[in-house]
Amino acid sequence: MMNESYDVAIVGAGPAGISAACVLADAGVKVIVFERGEYAGSKNMSGGVLYGYNLAQILPDFAERGCPVERNIIESRIWYLSKEAGYSIGYRDSVFTKERKFNVFTVGRAKFDRWFAEQARRKGALVVAGTTVVDLLKDASGKVTGVVTNRQDGEVQAKIVLLADGVNSPLAVKAGFRPELKAEHVALAVKETIEIPAETIEQRFGVSQADGVTTEVLGEITGGMDGVSIIYTNKNSISISVGANLAAFAKSKMKPYELLEAYKLHPMVAPLIAGGKAIEYTAHWLAEGGYDTIPKLAGDGYLIAGDSAMLFNALHREGSNLAMASGKMAAEAIIAALKKNDVSKQGLSSYIQAMNDSFVMKDMNKYRNFPGFLYDTHQLFNELPQMAQFAGREMLTVNGVTKKQKQKLIMDEIKKKIGLVKLAKILWKGWRSVK
Amino acid sequence: MPKNSKDKDIAEVVSKKCSGCQACVGECPVGCIDIVDGVAKITAEKCIGCGKCVMICPSDAILFDKPVKKKAVKTAEVKESAIAQYQGVAVFIEVKEGVAADVSWELVGKGRELAHKLNTKVMGFLVGHNVKKIASAAISYGCDSVYVMDNPAFEVYVSRVYGTALTELCKQVKPEIFLIGASPLGRDLSSVIATKLQTGLTADCTGLDIDTQEKLLMMTRPTFGGNIMATIYCRNHRPQMSTVRPKVFKMPKSDSTRAGEIVPFNYEAQADPLIKILETIKIDAANAIDITHAEVLVVLGKGASESKHFPMFEELASLLGGSIACSRPLVEAGLLPYVRQVGQTGKTVAPKLYIGIGVSGAVQHMVGINGSEKVIAINNDKNAQMVQVADYSIVGDYAVIIPELIKGLKARVPNFLIQGAK
Amino acid sequence: MHIVVCVKQVPDTTQVKIDPATNTLVRAGVESICNPYDLVAVEAAVKMTEKYGGTVSVITMGIPAAEAQLRECLSLGAHQAILISDRALAGADTLATSYTLASAVSKLNESDPVQIVLCGKQAIDGDTAQTGPGIATRLGFTQLTYVSNIVGIDITKQTITVRREIENGSQIVEAKLPVMLTVELELGAPRYASLPNLIKAVKHEIKIWGSKELGCAVDLIGLKGSPTSVKTIFAPPPRKGGPVFDTSDGNDKAVNGFLDTIFQKEAAILSQILNTDGKVKHA
Repeated sequence: MMNESYDVAIVGAGPAGISAACVLADAGVKVIVFERGEYAGSKNMSGGVLYGYNLAQILPDFAERGCPVERNIIESRIWYLSKEAGYSIGYRDSVFTKERKFNVFTVGRAKFDRWFAEQARRKGALVVAGTTVVDLLKDASGKVTGVVTNRQDGEVQAKIVLLADGVNSPLAVKAGFRPELKAEHVALAVKETIEIPAETIEQRFGVSQADGVTTEVLGEITGGMDGVSIIYTNKNSISISVGANLAAFAKSKMKPYELLEAYKLHPMVAPLIAGGKAIEYTAHWLAEGGYDTIPKLAGDGYLIAGDSAMLFNALHREGSNLAMASGKMAAEAIIAALKKNDVSKQGLSSYIQAMNDSFVMKDMNKYRNFPGFLYDTHQLFNELPQMAQFAGREMLTVNGVTKKQKQKLIMDEIKKKIGLVKLAKILWKGWRSVK
Repeated sequence: MPKNSKDKDIAEVVSKKCSGCQACVGECPVGCIDIVDGVAKITAEKCIGCGKCVMICPSDAILFDKPVKKKAVKTAEVKESAIAQYQGVAVFIEVKEGVAADVSWELVGKGRELAHKLNTKVMGFLVGHNVKKIASAAISYGCDSVYVMDNPAFEVYVSRVYGTALTELCKQVKPEIFLIGASPLGRDLSSVIATKLQTGLTADCTGLDIDTQEKLLMMTRPTFGGNIMATIYCRNHRPQMSTVRPKVFKMPKSDSTRAGEIVPFNYEAQADPLIKILETIKIDAANAIDITHAEVLVVLGKGASESKHFPMFEELASLLGGSIACSRPLVEAGLLPYVRQVGQTGKTVAPKLYIGIGVSGAVQHMVGINGSEKVIAINNDKNAQMVQVADYSIVGDYAVIIPELIKGLKARVPNFLIQGAK
Repeated sequence: MHIVVCVKQVPDTTQVKIDPATNTLVRAGVESICNPYDLVAVEAAVKMTEKYGGTVSVITMGIPAAEAQLRECLSLGAHQAILISDRALAGADTLATSYTLASAVSKLNESDPVQIVLCGKQAIDGDTAQTGPGIATRLGFTQLTYVSNIVGIDITKQTITVRREIENGSQIVEAKLPVMLTVELELGAPRYASLPNLIKAVKHEIKIWGSKELGCAVDLIGLKGSPTSVKTIFAPPPRKGGPVFDTSDGNDKAVNGFLDTIFQKEAAILSQILNTDGKVKHA
């Protein structure tokens, strides 16, 4: 048993854990953060998108502190792809280069998480890497009183424990705070970082040195499975990732890497990464279950934040901001609980209240049916893209056929492939799931 | 040419070419270069565009369009006349259990080449007890003269005793070059002498030559445990010292008719009172494993680490008159002793025939076997680095290849030997 | 007892890759680690102080990022860590390095006499094994290289007894303190740090000394103090691969094809190997 005890022990030095650590350290709370990776960020992977607003809530001067930014995103694109073709819509706004710079930006997680943890350390939080928390300490009543790490003399007492140990959250599962993940609540994503010279990226995406573009992709490129792909620009590389629902993967027996390779060959993707060299390949899980899979966020002596709490908004590709915001709210609740000297579930309940009042739970609730909709509506990833390709191909080919005739051909195809009624139902359900 | 925000022409590091040697960091007059993630990085805003970093970079890793002449490093000013006093190529003759270590003769052989280019002589520096015969051998292997320090105090090697003696010898004789074999003893000794003489020492050279224009020793060695080679000069200090591993250079022929001078060097050798050798444990010579002398090595890599196959490997080795060696993973797994390890942290070998089984060909291993005459790879991965560079490769499962190989050898070798005997 | 361990930050050469296009080592982005031999030295030092009392100081000459490696050493149980960092020290060869490190040991000796200096046998980037002996020579410490076992320390007699590896065997040597030891990996793998030590390491205030604090002469440090300088760095012509016999075409075919080829093309070498008048060595 360690002689020293802490006010708060945080499990995980990712965006949620470090955000909490920063806020707590600023308030003079004695914080220790445990990270199982060799250094903060070594075990983290995401598409790489961060939100300036939420980071500024933790570190208003993050730019001055040297936050390692890859590119400032000035355009967001959505693609709907069939096997050989695709629709694209993008929104670019000069406001994102000026007044709203850093609204969204890309980062390399290893670099960013490391920098972020260093900021927490400078504020006075202790960040201990290379150490895994394997269990929680509890008292007779079941209240959490600390953590057990995998090192000798590795038990640490803390008044409150914040679980921020990622989508898997072995600890939360072990402690019974949430069930083990079901395959259909998780997506498996594989990502490749492709090295391309900065000037080439700027030419291909039509951006200047500091700026970039994100692209979210849906359609047939996930092998018919419920999934999403991304193409994000970094300074000297492009991140491309393909992910699909884990249960769907198990059923289809497709291999993630094969999916990625096929994706890279798509006529809309290939030109963007031509001539590039793959320098990194990683895989990760995404918490896709949505609102209904969120566990109880607080208990006696503990809180859960970030991916551990399944906070992920797939539709808007938001996760890091939910993590940071929840980390901040957890910290604020902890500060209040420590003041009151009440670390019970009751004492920590301001966390739940704050979360419910915030965009975090409100957005999660808004989209609670979206994951289910995606999972059930396999046509989105099969027939619909094929139809869309047919429509586009037909309409844009100039071959002497009258436009009216073309319309008829398209309608016939829709009726054949999916049926007007079914199509209407899908659109209706889709609308319902996101409103 | 890149410019900074002050519109100044600045230098830029090509990180792919940078070896992280830090020469530019020390040279920059405004301190605008740092090592970041292992390679040099110039802070654009601070760069004044003087080009000094470009002049000193040995890897051509800095972009700078303005013409700049490569300059030698200015070390402490030494009068040219002082350097001119140093002449000759000295070679340390290591005595190992009453005989000279092979590496010493290998260096004498190389020393002759170097001395020829410098139009100077080769001197053996012999330290030991009752070493008269070795002094004569030194002449026959190519020394023009041999300085001998023969004294009971030198019976057993002690760092301070040998180091002080040889330092004194160097100060008196003033050789311009001093070569020492990089045996365990040589590696212990060389830095003692170089530090006392305050001169430059380059370890484990794989190449030695003379820059005939500047009359300097060119010392080439691998760096970063890999195959980036660096050529190093010791410009303003003497002697230019270098150690060389055994088997890097060829053993010269001994010519007993050669003439030379044996010079007893007057030196009051004394035992070192601060050190006492309590016990020497010798590995039984018959059981002594010395893979560096084997002409054939069967080298086991990570892909051949199943001990149940070891008898098969040994049969293959014995058919060819060879020894078993291995790469680092097998030693770390406790399957074979460290004395059999080949590679950067093991031994350097140069057999006639190197047969690697399940060896990937990682850089740290290849560094230790580059002197092999012919390299044969047996690997089940045709894309393995080893297969890319081996003189001959057999791709497949060694468990079926080797028995077939043994069968084939047993069938062919008798005929082959008979043919040879004819 | 005061033990000083000299450690070096090195690139993780097991992670270093070759760029196939240029056949050069790619240094960029390779993680830095503490030289494995040096960690063994720290572990040995800590064990010695656990047995005989005293403190372990760890020093390194390096760039600011080397702090991470010092903290790793602290987590093993070292008591203090000092980073020797200064632009003027950059580009040092082993002579300038041993001068700088010896100066640091001398400075430490002023406040607490040093009995033992430990170094790893060699660093996995430079592999020269020169720095340890250089330090010993400058300080006048008795030098013991390739130490594979610490037999014991006699505090009254002020002696240390070690086993060191020599060619074809080993020696048991007793030496009067102060000594400089370079250590083999066999001396003992570093421990998995306990949590209290890890936390102490994270919290520790690492001292930073520059060349001025050490009182180093300007012309004996860094690039200026290095008699050796690198003239060029180049990639050697790569070994060209030769014929590949693939057993997917049939095991017999491949092996016999190989044997036929080698008995034909390499007859010279084979006759040297096989006709050795019975001096076939089998070890």
